[in-house]
This record gives sequence, C-alpha cells and structure tokens, in this order.
Amino acid sequence: MKRTWLITLLVLTMTTILWGCGGGKPSASGGKTSVLDGGAGQSATELSYWTFVELHGQHFEKMLEKWNKENPERQIKLNVTVMPYDDMHNKLSIAVQTGVGAPDIADIELGKFPDFLKGTPQLEPLNDVIDPYRDTVVKSRIDLYSKDGKNYGVPTHVGASVAFYNTEILKEAGVDYTKIVTWEDFKQAGIKVHEKTGKYMGTADTSALWQVSQLLAQQGTDLTDDQGNPVVNSEAMVKALKLLKDLQDNNVIATIAGGQPDTEEAYGEFNSGNYATAFMPLWQMSRYTNYMTDLAGKIAIAPIPVMEKGMPRSVGGGGTGTVVTKTAKDVKLAKDFLAFAKLSLDANKEIWNTLGFDPVNMDVWNMKDVTHNPENKFVKYFVNNPFDVLNEIKDEIRLIKSTPASPTINNVLCTVTLNEIFEDGKDIKQALDDAQAQIEQELK
Amino acid sequence: MKKELAAKIAIFALFAVICLLILIPFYAVTIASFKPGEDLIRYGLNLRFDVSAMSLDNFAYLFTGDHAYFKWFFNSLLLTVVQVALTLIVSATVAYGFAAYDFKGKNMLFVCVLLIMMVPFEILLLPLYRLIYDMGLMNSYSAIVLPGVASAATIFFFRQYLSGVPKEIIAAGRVDGATEYGIYARLILPVMKPSFAAMAILNGMNSWNNFLWPFMVLSDDNKYTLPIGLKTLLTPYGNNYDLLIVGSFFSIIPIFILFVAFQKYFIDGMTAGAVKG
Amino acid sequence: MVKRFLYSQKVAPYVFVLPFVLVFLVFWIYPLASSVGMSFQKVTLGQEAQWIGFDNYAKLMGDKTFFKAVTNSAVYMVLTLVILIPFPMLFAVLINSRLMWGREFFKSSFFFPALTSVVVAGTIFRLMFGEMEGSLINSILGWFGLDPVKFLKGQATGYIALVALATWRWTGVNILYFLSGLKSIPDDYYEAASIDGASSWQKFTRITMPLLKPTTIYVVTISIYAGLAMFIESMMLWNGNNSPKNIGLTIVGYLYRQGIEKNNLGYAAAVGVVLLAITMIINLAQLAFSGMFKKEE
Repeated sequence: MKRTWLITLLVLTMTTILWGCGGGKPSASGGKTSVLDGGAGQSATELSYWTFVELHGQHFEKMLEKWNKENPERQIKLNVTVMPYDDMHNKLSIAVQTGVGAPDIADIELGKFPDFLKGTPQLEPLNDVIDPYRDTVVKSRIDLYSKDGKNYGVPTHVGASVAFYNTEILKEAGVDYTKIVTWEDFKQAGIKVHEKTGKYMGTADTSALWQVSQLLAQQGTDLTDDQGNPVVNSEAMVKALKLLKDLQDNNVIATIAGGQPDTEEAYGEFNSGNYATAFMPLWQMSRYTNYMTDLAGKIAIAPIPVMEKGMPRSVGGGGTGTVVTKTAKDVKLAKDFLAFAKLSLDANKEIWNTLGFDPVNMDVWNMKDVTHNPENKFVKYFVNNPFDVLNEIKDEIRLIKSTPASPTINNVLCTVTLNEIFEDGKDIKQALDDAQAQIEQELK
Repeated sequence: MKKELAAKIAIFALFAVICLLILIPFYAVTIASFKPGEDLIRYGLNLRFDVSAMSLDNFAYLFTGDHAYFKWFFNSLLLTVVQVALTLIVSATVAYGFAAYDFKGKNMLFVCVLLIMMVPFEILLLPLYRLIYDMGLMNSYSAIVLPGVASAATIFFFRQYLSGVPKEIIAAGRVDGATEYGIYARLILPVMKPSFAAMAILNGMNSWNNFLWPFMVLSDDNKYTLPIGLKTLLTPYGNNYDLLIVGSFFSIIPIFILFVAFQKYFIDGMTAGAVKG
Repeated sequence: MVKRFLYSQKVAPYVFVLPFVLVFLVFWIYPLASSVGMSFQKVTLGQEAQWIGFDNYAKLMGDKTFFKAVTNSAVYMVLTLVILIPFPMLFAVLINSRLMWGREFFKSSFFFPALTSVVVAGTIFRLMFGEMEGSLINSILGWFGLDPVKFLKGQATGYIALVALATWRWTGVNILYFLSGLKSIPDDYYEAASIDGASSWQKFTRITMPLLKPTTIYVVTISIYAGLAMFIESMMLWNGNNSPKNIGLTIVGYLYRQGIEKNNLGYAAAVGVVLLAITMIINLAQLAFSGMFKKEE
C-alpha cells in the first residue's frame, strides 16, 4: 500500500506544480478561446464566434473596436474560438443538429455550407441586414450562401483565382512569366524550367478543385448542370484533366506533399523553392506572407493561362460564409454586428488590410490609397500589386455554383478521382465516369 | 553450456534490435523538439542530429509562452485521476456482486457485461450525445466519466480475479457478524489490491488517451484535455508546430518519469491478475 | 426496516450490481435502441424524422465507399491479429525463460509506447511516414538506396503505416497479458516434461500454448473489437477523415463522416448497426470456435 501512497503523492505534487505554472492566459493561437473586449464596458453583451482561420479573428478584433466606439449602447465582447477546419465544422454540425452548444456567430467554409442548408437551416436569415449593402457587393458571392431566396451567410471575399509565380526560379530558367498567356505557353515554359533547374513549374492538385474549377470556368461550364445535378464526366471536364495530365507527363507539374498548395506540407515545399507556380484564389497571398517568408520579394501575381485567348481568366474560389445561429443569445445584435464587420465599407477595407483578401465591395479595388498603401505587408511582400491584376481580370471572374450536391462532388473528386488520375495514372474518362456513378449513388 | 550462452546472446540481440526500433520514434520527437517547427513541415520528422540547428526556443515557449498547454495538461491529469478512481471503485463493487453471490438474473446480467465488451462504443456516439444534452451534462467532465463508470472490461477482470479468492473469507466474515457490505469493504477490498493496480494502469491509459468522446462533449477550451488540445494545434492556419511537437514530447516526460520510477510495480500489477478462462 | 431489507443477503447482490444495471440501461440500452430506431429513419435538420423502413440498409448495400471502409477495417483487424498475437506470445515466453538477460528493462521499454496518446503517437507516425525525401522512413530507405515512397497515398503502404502504429503501441501491452497468463502455469509441468525428455519446442506447443488459451482468447477478443472499431489512428495518420482514395477510411470513420460531417444521422445509424452485427458475429464465432461456451469439465 505504501507504493500507492507514493504514487498518489507524486501525482498530487505534480498537479500542484503544473497548476502553479499553468495559470494559462488566453491568446489567439490555435485551439484557443480569447475574449476580445475591443474597449467594451461592463454592460457589453458577450457573443461567441467560431472560426477555423486565426486571422479572421484578428479582423473581427479591429472591427469590434470600431463597433464599440460607434455603438456605446450596444457594446459587444467577442469570445473567439479557433479550431482546425474539420473539427470546427463537425462540432458546429453536431451543435446545430442537437440545438445545443452552438456559438452565436460562426464561419462556415463554402465546401461545407450546403450541408448546413439541408432541411430547415438552423441559421438566421440575414436578408434584412444585407439589404443596405446589397448594391455595393458582388451579388454572386451572397448567392453562394443562400437557399430559397434567403441569405444565410455573409461572404468574406471574391476569391478571384490568379497565378503566383516564383520569379527567382523563372529567372534562373530564363522564363518571362508576363509572356505566358495560354496553357501551351505555360507548358513550354515549364519544360524549360524543369530542364534548367530540375524543379517543377506547378502542382498537380489531388486534394482540391482549384485548378479544375479554373479550367471549367474557362470553358464556361461547371461541376453541376442548371438543376444543380452533378456532371463530373462532361467533355469539358475530360478536356481539363487531359490538359493537366499532359502537363504532368511532361514534368511541368507534379503532385505535391499535402495534395494542393494550401496545406502545411505544401507551404514547406513552396518555401523551399521546389515548385514555381501556384494557381490559387487571391487569398493565398496571406499564406505566402504568413508561412512562406523565404519567398518575400520573389512572388509575382498574374492572370491564369487560358486554353484559348479570350477565354475568361479567373474564377471565384473558396470562401467563408459567416452565419448567425438560431440559438444565438441576441440575434439582432449578432446580425447587425456581422453586417457591420463584414459588409460596411470600412470592413471591406480592413478585409484587405488585415487579411489580404479581395473584398466583395469592388469599389475598394479602385481606391488607390487603400490598395497601393506602401506600408501594407502584402504590398511589400509581392513583386507587383495584386489589384493591378485584379482590375485587369475584373469582368472575367466566373463562378462555380454551390449546390446541395457540392460537398459530395468535392469529397469524391478530392479523395478518390484526382488521386487515381495523378498518382495512379488511371484513364481519365474511366475515372470520371466512376466518380459520376459514385456521386449519384451517394446522393440517392 | 556453450549452447545456452549462444541462445542467450541471440535472444538478447533480438530484443535489443526490437527495442531500438521501438525507441526510434521517441528519439525522433526528442530531437525534433529542439528544432524549429518550420523544419518539421519542410523536411519531415527525421533522425538528423545537428547541434547547430537546435535550440531551447521551443521549451522556452512551452514554459513562458502565451498558450493553454498546461491547462490542458492539468485537465487531463485531473480527469484521469477522477475517472480511474471512480471506475475502479464502482466496477470492483459490481464485480464482487457477480463473484460472491448467486442471485436471480445473475447470468443474464453477466452476459450483458460480456456483450458490452463487444459493442463498439462509437456506434452510440450520436444518441449518447443527445442524451447527455438532455441530461444537461454538456461540456462537463461528468459526461465523460459517467458512461464508463461501470466499465465492462474492468468488471470482467475483477470478477475473474475474485473467483480465485476463497469463499471461506466471506463465510468467516458472516460468522463474525459483519454485514454484507462490511465484508466487502473490510475483507475483500484488501485482497483485491494487486488487481487494482493492474486495472488502474489500463484504465488510466485509456482515460489519458481518450479523444473522440471528450472531444464531442467538451466545447469550452478551458476544459479541453491534452489530446484534444494538441489536436487543435494541427491546423494549417495556425503555425503551431513548435508547440505541437514540444508539447507532444513533454506530454510523454511525466509518464516516463512515473513509469521508470515505478516500473516494477506497474508491470507486476498488470501481471498480478491472471486471466482465467 | 429499510436498513434490514438492504442489508439482507438476498438484496445485497442487487445493491452491488445496481450501478452496472443503471449505467447499462441509461448509457447503453437506451442509445443502442435509439440508434437502431434511427437507422430506419431519415433524419433531417430541423424537421421531424421520417420512417423509411429498410431504405438506409438498401442504400448501404450498394455503397462502394462503405464496402471500402469495411474492407479496410477487416484487413486492419486481420493484420493486427496476425502480428499482435503470435509475436507478443513468443516474446513473453522468451522474456519468461531463464535465458533472458535484462528482463525488466525490455518489459518496460516494450510497454512504454502504450503510454503515449493516440493523438501524439499518430502525429509522430504521420510525420515519420511523410512523403518527403527527408522524412524518417524515407531517409532510412535512402540509406539502402531506395527511392522515397508516398506511404500515405498508397493502399498497401497505408496499411503498413497503420499496422506499424498499432504494433508499436500494442506489442508491449499484449506481452504483459501473455506474461500474466504464463504466471498461472505451474513450473512442475515443465519439470515433469523435462524428465520425460521433451524438447523446448514440444514444451511450448504441448504445455504453454494450450494453457495460455484463456489469455489468448481474451486478447483475440479485444483485438477483434479494437481492430474493427479503429478510427482515431487513421484520423491522426491522415490528419482528418478524408484519406486519398479512402485508403484509411474505417467503418467508424464512415459512420463519423455520414453522421457528423454530412448530417445523415439515419444513414450513419445504419452503418453503426452493421458494424455492431459484424463485431458480434465475428466475436461470437471466435468464442464458439475456441470452445469458450463449452461447459467446463
């Protein structure tokens, strides 16, 4: 029995010690809740907010200060919880299903959004608070988060896809990225890069649809038909994947650890200079400044190559709809604050300043003092100014519809099909037919 | 005798090699905890021992940084201690009921114990979640402790152990005028000590490592346990690998110390209660 | 009066087992029943559940992803059985033999990995099996002049990673189980066999193996259960529930995907019921086969 007491004693001592040094001050790092008071007084209402991107919290922090200053009668304290992508959506899903434990405000990523719109959405319609801003923002971005005419989510950005070129690698290979217009140009440049440097021009994405969406948009099609039914084995789709496969066969692009540019493994690969190009929505900028610091001053932004000249050169990619849940403590307050924090002109400026996103209020795109502010960390990091490119492709930004079938389409293509094509070399048509069958089966 | 020596050496060599293999991951984490987290993403976890690239920065951050690591650590420790204590007491009591008495419905109930051992807990996740909500236990440690408090495997183990304890003890107790509960508390519990150690270790391991269910019912990160907390660091949008790896490393250290200090006791406890068919 | 009643020898056993009965009814029977009920329903957010009979099960039978998950779980279970029963048994016998040097040291170091949490161990293995040239396993392959392998992107190599993780964590635990079984075998049996001139191998197959049977049955039972219900290991290795080509998807993973990630509660419940059926059938068959249900003579 003595031994047991010894162990108990030891455990107790350890806990005491740990308790002592574990006073734990909250911070905004991963998996942490932090209460932002933004200068709020005693009477402020505390609202909770879940997100999977730490930076989004920082944006809200700035907007919160402004809100509390402008609305002394309706001050807010914001309780921000940052969780990993899957975990946050899963917990939110459980919470809205059971009607308990949901936060007042939450970020839901576009790919997961349709799952939250199933049946009767357990989210508050936001039409009334969006209305005052409706004319100033890109309509299609709001439509993404809507069902039956009700808007359930507030968009964060346009997510215009662009090409990010590593100019250092291209210079070494003697390639001028500004001359790349078509995919054929890109291919020739890539062959040169691989011969001269042994590096790859770009990535063959296996776990995301960025490239596929871009190539479909160029051909004026989508992953779903007009009724929202999946069509992943269309001719346009075959053509898109054949193009990518041909690039892979010529060592222009190659699969990357992590499966796509927006993963931690890929940040490492890019940062080490193993891949010269990423075709990503504009928000990838913030990943460069945060996680690929070695590349500062080397990355240039340009329009994405097209199959034939004259085709649209961009597509809106990704997105986060911020929602107010039905169980929110103070629905009215949460909605008003949300609109203020994401749709007002100030908010749109801050979305660029803090997050490096292309704001949904496109008027901001032309405000030189905002977009070309030399103090801005994004402006500093990149070789050219992103808004010069954005304004050039402004009218060419297409959209991939989000439908109830989208999460399933995404899941099948990104876990199975793209891997079969790029990792195993499976026949493209066959792989896509299989995918179509699987998706239809799952949606039954 | 020469043959015997050769056999000894061969066996020792075999075990030494396996032991090295087992220790590789520990070695890799130990090294990694001295390197910047960024290296991990770039080069993967590896065995490269390069003093110039190593520093104590991660440890400095672990102890002085602005994060909740030690809160998680403490929560895990608390939860483990409470859960193990309750589970052992309750399960031992139930096992005694099964081992010492013949009563109506005993066999049927014991079959239920065996059945539970074969029902994957995971299939109950969703209904259990609703139940816990209806009971108002969301986001509390009770939600984690209660469903497992009469652990089937533990009851089974204790019953097996008790079936080896002579019934004369009980009879003698009755002759002395002790109550049924007095017999259990004063005569049987002391005899069960060795098996308690074994089950404390197994239950403790489960509790310390438990992830899925606590993850589902705990929503307040002030209550997160270490596995949940560490898991939250695994996000591409947080740059948390410094804390993740040094935190993982550090989470092993206290167990390691406990284990080395009491290893004989640990293992003898595990092997004390032989499983009888 | 109440006291006398509670203290009677007739009532006492019920008091003793009461906690189990309560927990069993509240936390097992009730959720289990509602799970089975839910598997016949279509449950939609914010709406009344609809009874749809066997539709969920019919759909399940045509669901390739589900069969993929079942296959993965089954393969994993078989592989862990094949590795984690014979080797720990052999090691336990060796550790127990008088030919062993450093017995305590090896017992401890084999057991040690079991003390790390799945989250920690899974993360370590994910990084070790990374596809970069410099990651641990690939750099070891490099010493032998082999090309780097994308372990977590291929089916066979994915299994290797999963089984390596399981082997690493559980070998030591199973050794301890077998050691405890060995303790209950009286030494005289071996002495008698030695006098009869039995070889070491004969002693192992004639005495050790048969007498270890109860322990073996126990270990096999919990291994079948653990193998079929595996989920977190895969989730940690692939940093999520969506592995390339679903090579790491398990039955529980699929249940989690349908029920929690996709809000198809009814369908998920059907997956759960099938899992329950599979586990029960295999375990009962195993127990029947090994003679567990025969009355002891």
